[in-house]
Amino acid sequence: MGLLQEAIFGVVTGSYIAIAAIGFTLIYGIVNMINFAYGEYLTLGAFVGFFTASTLPGPLPVAVVVAMAGGGVVSIALARGFFTPINDTGPVPMLLTSIGLGIAIRNAIRLFGGRSARYIETETSTIRFNAVPDAAVGSIDLLGGFFVTSEHLIVVGSAVAVFLSVHLLLTRTEVGIAMRAMGDDEDLARVRGIDTQLIRDSVWLLAGVLAGLSGVLLAIQTNVSPTTGFSHILQILSAAILGGAGSPYGAIVGAYVIGLALAFSTAVLPSSMTSLSSAVAFAILIVVLLVRPSGIAGTEVRKA
Amino acid sequence: MSVRDRLPSGHGNTALLAGIGCLLVGGLFSLTPLQAELPSVLYVFVEVGITFAIYGMLVLGLDLQYGHTGLVNFGHVVFFAVGAYATAMVAAQDTFSGIGLGYPWPLALLVGVIAAALLGVVVSATSIRLRDDFLAIVTLATAEIFHSIFVNFEGIFGGNVGILGVPRPIAGLVGDADTRVVATLLVLGGVTLITLATVTRLTDAPYGRVLRAIRADELVTRSVGKSTITYKTQAFVYGAALAGLAGGLFALYNGAVAPGFFTIQVTVTVWIGMLLGGAANHRAVLAGLAIIMGLRLISRFGLGVTPVSGDVFAALRLVVVGLILVAVIRFRPAGIWGDPQELGVDR
Repeated sequence: MGLLQEAIFGVVTGSYIAIAAIGFTLIYGIVNMINFAYGEYLTLGAFVGFFTASTLPGPLPVAVVVAMAGGGVVSIALARGFFTPINDTGPVPMLLTSIGLGIAIRNAIRLFGGRSARYIETETSTIRFNAVPDAAVGSIDLLGGFFVTSEHLIVVGSAVAVFLSVHLLLTRTEVGIAMRAMGDDEDLARVRGIDTQLIRDSVWLLAGVLAGLSGVLLAIQTNVSPTTGFSHILQILSAAILGGAGSPYGAIVGAYVIGLALAFSTAVLPSSMTSLSSAVAFAILIVVLLVRPSGIAGTEVRKA
Repeated sequence: MSVRDRLPSGHGNTALLAGIGCLLVGGLFSLTPLQAELPSVLYVFVEVGITFAIYGMLVLGLDLQYGHTGLVNFGHVVFFAVGAYATAMVAAQDTFSGIGLGYPWPLALLVGVIAAALLGVVVSATSIRLRDDFLAIVTLATAEIFHSIFVNFEGIFGGNVGILGVPRPIAGLVGDADTRVVATLLVLGGVTLITLATVTRLTDAPYGRVLRAIRADELVTRSVGKSTITYKTQAFVYGAALAGLAGGLFALYNGAVAPGFFTIQVTVTVWIGMLLGGAANHRAVLAGLAIIMGLRLISRFGLGVTPVSGDVFAALRLVVVGLILVAVIRFRPAGIWGDPQELGVDR
């Protein structure tokens, strides 16, 4: 397989990481916590989408919308039940709470959903481009024939739609502008008359909807098991930190960097070590935190 | 009289004596033909007790890092794993896969401790300045990276099979199964008690006061002329070395190491035990760990009497464990025996 094909896979992976990373980074910027349970929201969204698709005979978009709504409801319910009451205890207790909550949710899903991996069945059409010439450099092929499936297009298309809507939300609506104001300076925002709790709730809702969408896209494109969310949380987190924690635009860039890095490392690593590619995302994360902790665009995370 | 009063701190000498006593009795069982008989009901308790002794060293090291110094190390398992792998690889004879050098086990144990301490030096040199929650993320990511390295480099670390053929010093001396587990429990429990005595000495000394001052307010501590980074690095490396010791002893007890023993679940267990008992109180963190590991006994016994599968029971136990963590942080942030005022969490 050529590197071009890997790049396409990387963009697809980057797309669903990006959707989730926007939600993750908004929570980080506005609620000021690293939400380690966020991966579980993806799993929940995917399972809601899966059960909708298998019980209701409606078309696929219905399942996607139901999954997004489910993700939003779950997110706001969990926030109200677990995170809002300890909002002023600082980042570490909230991080630990989210870790505990994540374990509980993950295993609850395992209880009710079983351990097996499932996927949402869709009719896939594949578009092949075989006419592209090879451009081999050493053992690595730079171009080569490639293919795109309709699922790839759905994932990337949804991601672009999400980027545009989030951009419009943050720049054109009252709520979005209030979100940015709160991310900047919560006290000033409150002085200015912004209902900070309402904004926090809307961030939780938005993040849940995005997680639900990302999860259901994962279920369409690959498959989901109860551990799916957990295995993606570090990638989402790496993307968000790479982009500068708190910045949604940075998170998008970060997500595509992570996605491409994962895909290319799969191409370069010997076949017995392909699962090492997940370590690549964490290595990027550590390097970013050491070299440029503020990320591509963002705030200082170093204390001393 | 509240429960807290019954768990006073500063009894390091008692722990030291008890630890030496345990080691002596354990040694008696291993070196003489003396035999112990164990009713089969108790067997499972002894087995969980051995794991508790090993995890006890982990939680004591973690408590030095988080409870006393405020370093949020959420990748504690990596030091445990590195200690275990280093010990196993230096000591193993005829391993099925991976490297086994076949040197004597005391040397291997020493190498394990040093390897874990070195990793601690590297991690703290690079990350100790990060803000609390980001230090947690870096340590966690380090643990995940090492986990996938252990799985993927089959030629060196044996992949999913791990390293087999690690010598088991106690099993080598004692043939009888009952005597063997009792001797193992006594020896490992003795080491844990001596560890408890050592860290108690350390934290009761003025040195421990500096560590707690850093946790309370790093800026103030620095302004009175203490090099906080040096102290933080030392505390981190001590914790890492202790985890390495625990890992090495685990390898020598278990006779094999594999990636499956070193998952994030280990980190989570010791963290919850520490927070439940009460950070910054050595006996409390051990008691908290005992409660969490007691849940394993319940699920093991419950498995026999209820008609559900083991998988369901394991999932249920983890749901409960996760919710315990959430509940402790929300309702009793200082833990059961912790001092809320000292930990700065009273509201």
